[in-house]
Amino acid sequence: MNPVARVILIALYAILGLAATGRATVQILEKFSDAPVAYSLSAVAALLYAAIAVALWRGWRKVAIVGTGIELIGVLSVGALGYLESSWWPDETVWTGYGSAYGWVPVLLPVTALFFLLRYRKAGVH
Amino acid sequence: MEYYAATVYPVVLAASAVLALAGVASLVVVRAHRVLTWVVTGIYVVVGAHLVAVVAGLLSGPDVDLVITAGYLLASLGLLPLLGIARLGAPEAKRADVDPDRPVLQPDQIARVDGAVAVAVAIALAVVSWRLTEVFGAAS
Repeated sequence: MNPVARVILIALYAILGLAATGRATVQILEKFSDAPVAYSLSAVAALLYAAIAVALWRGWRKVAIVGTGIELIGVLSVGALGYLESSWWPDETVWTGYGSAYGWVPVLLPVTALFFLLRYRKAGVH
Repeated sequence: MEYYAATVYPVVLAASAVLALAGVASLVVVRAHRVLTWVVTGIYVVVGAHLVAVVAGLLSGPDVDLVITAGYLLASLGLLPLLGIARLGAPEAKRADVDPDRPVLQPDQIARVDGAVAVAVAIALAVVSWRLTEVFGAAS
């Protein structure tokens, strides 16, 4: 994987992980019963971002690919369901509106990461 | 906490703007990386002063959400180690590590990585400060 892209992605996932951790912590500590599914998803997103950052740093390519894949599926599913079944979501998660509250970074980041991770794998560079 | 919106917030915003500009400059011109390192030092000072200002404001007794405020303060501190993250890919760092997968960056790549990350951190710092302005505004 391109080392420049790799380190930038690590930093971006760390920033997003910080943001998601903060959001999930406040939501769970202060009002978990209001929207347990939404707030649990925020916590899952935070853990996922941290795991992907570590996987990218340690060079665990398969873990990074699986993690970013789950992230992409999650943000697309939650984003779509937020519009299709808005009653399911009493409050917002990190992935609501495809991550619109975070400048759509949550949907752009896994696409970018998967591009670099899969291109690396196809090239067969070790 | 009116002083936060009147004084602290504009200072953090200005510092974030300078950091973003230095980051863009480092992306475009490798030699500007030296300027970015000076700006990063300044950002450490600004974030430290921001921390002191918010804590001092909290001690003065306004009715703000402590969990949210503490979360944003921790986030602002957590962003700092990411500035200059390219140092982890410097060749000398690689020599001190047995990890074969550790990324190794050339000097121009270090400048570009630090520049890109500086832009991202600048945006995040500005957002943190803006959110704190809203938290304090809701409390007053």
